[in-house]
Formats: sequence, C-alpha cells, structure tokens
Amino acid sequence: MIRVAIKSLFILVLSVPAVVHAQLVPPPEQAIKTGGEVFVQTCTQSYCHGANGGAGGAPRLAGRGFNAAYIEKVVTFGIKGTPMPAWGQKLSEPELKSVIAYVESLNGIAPGTKAVPPPVLTGEAAHGRDLFFDPTEAARCSNCHRIEEKGISVAPLGKIPPDSRSLRGLETSHTVTATVRGKTFPAIVNSQAANEVKLYDLITFPPVLRTLTQSDVTLEDGSSWKHSSVLGAYTDAELDSMLEFLRATKVP
Amino acid sequence: MNRRWIIVIVVLFTLPLFVNGQQRIPARQTTVSQSQIPKGSTNENWSSYGGTGLDWRYSSLNQINTSNVKALLPAWIFQSGDYQDALQSTPIVIDGIMYLSSPHSYVFALDAATGKLLWQYKHEPLPGYSPPFGLKSYGVAVSDGKVFIGTYDDFIVALDQKTGHEVWKVAAEDPTTCRCSISSAPLLVKDKVVIGSSGSRGFVAAFNVKTGHMDWRFFTVPAAGEPGNETWSGDMWKRGGVNPWVTGSYDSELNLVYWGMGDPSPTFYGGSRPGTNLYGDSVVAIDADTGKLCWYHQEIPHDTWDYDSNWEPVLMDREVDGQMRKLMVHINKSGYTWVLDRTNGTLVNIYQDNKNITWVKQITPKGEFIGRHDVLEGQEPWLVCPSNLGGKSWNHTAYSPRTTFLYVPLIEVCNEIVVRRRIEGMPNFGGAIWVMKSPPGHESAYSHIDAINPVTGKLQWTYQYKYIFLASMLATGGDLLFTGDPEGEFFALDARTGRKLWSYQNGAGHRGSPVTYMVKGRQYVAMPTGWGTVTGEIVGVLWPESEKWRSGSSLVVFALPKESK
Repeated sequence: MIRVAIKSLFILVLSVPAVVHAQLVPPPEQAIKTGGEVFVQTCTQSYCHGANGGAGGAPRLAGRGFNAAYIEKVVTFGIKGTPMPAWGQKLSEPELKSVIAYVESLNGIAPGTKAVPPPVLTGEAAHGRDLFFDPTEAARCSNCHRIEEKGISVAPLGKIPPDSRSLRGLETSHTVTATVRGKTFPAIVNSQAANEVKLYDLITFPPVLRTLTQSDVTLEDGSSWKHSSVLGAYTDAELDSMLEFLRATKVP
Repeated sequence: MNRRWIIVIVVLFTLPLFVNGQQRIPARQTTVSQSQIPKGSTNENWSSYGGTGLDWRYSSLNQINTSNVKALLPAWIFQSGDYQDALQSTPIVIDGIMYLSSPHSYVFALDAATGKLLWQYKHEPLPGYSPPFGLKSYGVAVSDGKVFIGTYDDFIVALDQKTGHEVWKVAAEDPTTCRCSISSAPLLVKDKVVIGSSGSRGFVAAFNVKTGHMDWRFFTVPAAGEPGNETWSGDMWKRGGVNPWVTGSYDSELNLVYWGMGDPSPTFYGGSRPGTNLYGDSVVAIDADTGKLCWYHQEIPHDTWDYDSNWEPVLMDREVDGQMRKLMVHINKSGYTWVLDRTNGTLVNIYQDNKNITWVKQITPKGEFIGRHDVLEGQEPWLVCPSNLGGKSWNHTAYSPRTTFLYVPLIEVCNEIVVRRRIEGMPNFGGAIWVMKSPPGHESAYSHIDAINPVTGKLQWTYQYKYIFLASMLATGGDLLFTGDPEGEFFALDARTGRKLWSYQNGAGHRGSPVTYMVKGRQYVAMPTGWGTVTGEIVGVLWPESEKWRSGSSLVVFALPKESK
C-alpha cells in the first residue's frame, strides 16, 4: 500500500507542471500526450473504443483516414443515433482540444485547436437549464418542450412569460378540446391528414400521441388545461430560473 | 435386505449431497405441480415473450421430436434488412401470424406458415437521441388488437394488429436527457403493457393498452424520502442506474409482476456509492394494479463486479421437502442461482452454476457470503470470474416440466479489472477498464449448457462448447432442446441426455431466442440469426477466429417435410 502511495505521489508531482501547462497554450506534443490520457479515461471506458484507438465495443479510430474537420465535429457534437456522445458538452475546453489532437494524431494529422464547444451558461440561467432537463423531477419541461436539440416537441415554445406566476396561469394557445367516442379531454393537435388526426392526449402526464380517424374525433378551440397542472413540484424561484434559461437561449 | 446393506446404500446415495463440503438441500426428486403445466406451456401460439408469463420457454408441441428431428429442414426465411446489431428478438405467433421486431425497433407481421410480409412498421427515432447501449430489440407483445414495442429511444408504441398503423405512442421520460432506452420486450398484465426502461435511473412502467395513459411507474432506485434511499449516499441515487433491461414475469394468481434489477451505477466503482444500493442486483415483486413494491430480495448488496440481477425470473411450482411451493428460480450474472418463495420473497436455496468463480469463495444456501472479494480502487488488476458478461448472459433458460430440468446456458469467461474513479459528466458505466480473459488454469474460455434440477442445482447432464453460447434455449414436448451457436449452427439436443440429434448451418451466428408454434397442423421452429452487438465484439478478443462469426438479421424457420410428419 505504501509503495502504491509513493508511486502515485511521484506521478502526481511529475504531472502537475504538465497539467498546468496544458491549460495555457499546449504545445502540439503535449496536447497529444494529454489527449491520450483523456482518451483512456473517457473514450476507452467499458463498452467503447479500444486502447490506442483500436476497436473495442465501438469502432477502431487509428489509421482510418479521418480528416481534421470530421474528427472535430464528431468528438464535439457526437453522432446522432449512435452511442457516440457530444464531448463538447462534457469535457473542459483544454481536454476537448487535447483529445481531438490525440485522435488526429492517430490519423496522421498534426494537432489542431479549432474545436469550439457550445456556449456555457452561468448563474441562474445555468441552474434553470439543469432544472429544465432534470430527470428526477416528476414532470420535467423537456418531456413536452424541445430546446438545444433536446426534448420532445409536444408543444412549441411560445412567448416566454415574464414570471412564474404568469407561467402557472398560462393557457396555451395550442390546446384544444377533443371528444373521442363520447370522452372529452384537453389535447394538442400534432398533424391532420385526409382521414387522420394525430393529437397529444393531455389527460395524464406524460402526454400520449394518439392517431385517430377524422370521423371519430371532434375538436373545439381552447381547453381547461393550464400549466399549473404539471408544475406542482416546482417552487416559484425554480420556475423563474427556468424562464431565465429560456430568455438566455433567446427562444422566440 | 440386510440392515448393513441398507446403511451402505443410504450412505452412497447421500454422498452427492455434500459438494465442496457444502450441504445442499436434500437432492430427493422434487415433484412438479401438474396443475401448473398448462399455465406454463405454449401450444399452437407463442403468445408471450417467455412463452407464457411464467417464463418457461417450453412448448407442449411434439410433432417434431427426438425420433424425427433429423429430417428438419428450412421452410422459409425472412430478412429484416437492418443488419447493424443482430436479430435478437423473440418472435410472437398468434393464430398463424408472426410479429417480429428488429434492432432498429422495426416491426414486421408475417404469415407464419410462408414468411410472406403482411405489414411493416419503421420507427422514426427522436432527433438528437443516441442510444447508450446500441440498437437492439428483444421483441414485441400482442393484445387488445394491438402490437406493442418498446423502442431504443424509449417510446412505447401501440400498432394496429391488422395494419401496423400507429395507434398511440408515449415516452415516460424525455429520452434525450435521461438517455433512456428500452431493449426488452413488453410484458402484458391484464389491461396494461409493462416495460422496463434503462437510463440514468431505471424504471418499470405500466401503460393502459387502450389509451397509452401511464397507470403506474416503479423507480428502481428509491428517491429521497422513500424507504431504501438510505442505502445510497448523497445524491448518488439520482444516477443510480439499476436498469431493468430484461423482461420480467407475471403470476396472475398472485397478481404480482416480477422484475430483475441491474447493477448500481457507477458500475465497478463502488467507492462513490457506499451502502447496499437498493434495489440494485435485486429481484422485485410489484403489485400489478398499483405498481407498489410488495417484496424484494437483494441478491448481491453493493455490487462492484457488474453482476446484473436482470435475468428472467422463472416461476414454477415444485415440491420442496414434501411441500408444494410456489417458487421463483432466478439466476444472475454472478455464477449463482437464487430459489425464492415467490409469494413473499423468502429464500429457499442458493446454488452454484459456474465452475470458475473468484469474486466470492462461497455463498451458502442461507445467503451468507464467505470470502467476498470486491473490486476496489487502487488494487492491482486481478482475475474476476465470472466476467461482466455474466456466468450467464441475458439469453434465456428453458424449463421442461416433462424432464423436470432447467436448461441453463453458462459462460466460463473472466475479466481483469482496473477501477477508475468516475469523471463528472462521463457515462456512468465507465467505472473501470476491463479485459476479457480465460478462466484460471484454462487455455481458453468456453461455455456449456447444463440440465439441472432447478431447486437443488443438481447436474443431470452438460453439453460443452469451445466458444460462447449467447442464444436462448427452447424446450419442447418432443423432448428436444433447441439453441444456436456463434458459428452459425442451429441445433437440437435430446432434452433428457444432452446428446446432439440435429444441426443446421444458418449462415450467421446466433444471439436471439428460438420459438415453436403450429399452423394448420404443422409445427414450425423459428430461429433469429445474426452475430454482432457490442458484446459480440468484446468476446471476439478471446478468440481470433471469431472474425468468421457472421452478422446478419434473418429469421430462419424450420419444419418437417410434409411427407415426414
């Protein structure tokens, strides 16, 4: 145990100047080295890429002939529809740049520092974003609203209410009252075709997208549905933070 | 008979009760409940994922049997067209129509006698979603004139059984942020369709078959203020994992839904989550009407080896010590099987399945862990057996009430593991780096199908294989056991002796679950094919020749030639 501790101390002492340096202007060889370390701790974890860019659960990365633009895009933004995550949202900027440099080096490309991670929000807006997407909330906003390419678009985000009080009382202009085989419920129409209506049934949470025959459904404008029916778990301060997040991301 | 001889005979017959100095439950022949047999067996139809809600994967059909199986030939083949991740599903067959799902959450309705395509549904994934564990679908459920699928981007979709048109669709969570995914087949429970969803915090949820309204949801990790939350530290429960990624079972008389729970997150790295981490590595019994927890049994507290307790809870009524008991036989990844009383979760027995186990010296039949060896940070790499693939993977067992044996596909593979502290924002399964290894003293990893007494674990026969079995078992009333291997051989064993009776080269490896059914008096056996998935690639490092194991996504369906029936 003592031997392990001494060994770790040595590694720590030797690593400190390197890490500090990497956060300033990493020289190319240092970026690749740091990138290799980040790679081991992230990309090779468990079911993903193999050591030294070989194949693992995910494909081989070494010697694939990838160009710099492709590597930067994929590492930063991930690949939709696959397990490859958007590391731009997860790594610090120096870490991101260094891991891109490392993958570039695996493909014979001199290290570049072109990656631009998505903007980082601070303060109340950042807290609001966390709440907006918080998976432990009973009724989280992204179950019905889509923003920053995340969430389910049940209802498009409209004008942002000025405060939590007006949000709770918001009667969205999108809702209608649907009657299907004698049963009436609040709904949001998703699409209408010749003989088919797709609508979100808002009786319960989460909303259910139902496909109905035109003749089975009658629709009337407006409904009794209010935001307050799904916002019970949030405090006014939390709602205000989420509104601040929406304003910061310049939702129309 | 001379009294001395009687004593000698008794001693001889008693010897097998003591294995490795451990006394097992007396190995006298347990009796199968005759009244339960029709409830656990399938006939013409294969209407539920595990055959029936009891998860036996047993059909009473016997037109194809030990005497004529040699004549079995392909009757038709269906190709799903999406070859990315292997066809791993269990086809459902009802009244001559087959309902099959494929890795992209596509659903196909086929004429079960000819393979003719009747309709298809191609799921459109949610933009911006990336499934954390790849594309896969283990199957669909059919009820109330609808076909239900849980999609890889975490929606439950109900399709019109006649046309394949969407009737309703719902996601319990926003999949883009919980990174939830459904790979398992839904389970039908009265007027509800029940699914297990995996993500940052797993849940089992029930939806009304008619409307799609969510009736209840059981979170696999208790929230702050709920009983069991004290088994986690701080906010770790919010990302506790415990993913219910394999379909559970259902006892309609007890009105209980049983579901196996995955390991706690972060996997391997237990340092950040002190406590027993409920309901990680547990099996839970949930009230089918309310979703309330009735009982749970945690098989492995505070897992640090990735020993998911996800596998099928097999529900059987058998005699134990002269009493007919309602049992659940539940194997997990750790190399052991738990036998529980399924009315209340009390322990009946625990027995060892795998030959190579290093993470614990012994688990006694009473549940005591002797010589437990955790994976810890700062350790030198050591050989953990079984590996995180499990002593058995998700591919299912079969249980024949005729032979009274449970057929278990077992894998003898180990891991060398180095734990790494979780990095904030990194995927939660990344608590370690691990490498697949052969078991100690063996030149190569291997696998075997064991026919055992499901209550005592007593071995009846074993069928050994030099590679790995990752396809499910199917037992039939013709005393046959069907399964397939990665090299492409689909084969039938004599369910009583383990002798290989028939084999057919399907042209691609096997990762799916065979079923059998009957249309117009003719019995068919259907086997999904296609090697692949992340697991398929990982085990490849054990055998360089695995490059020859082919991917694909075809269903091959067999029957006896008409004149041989």
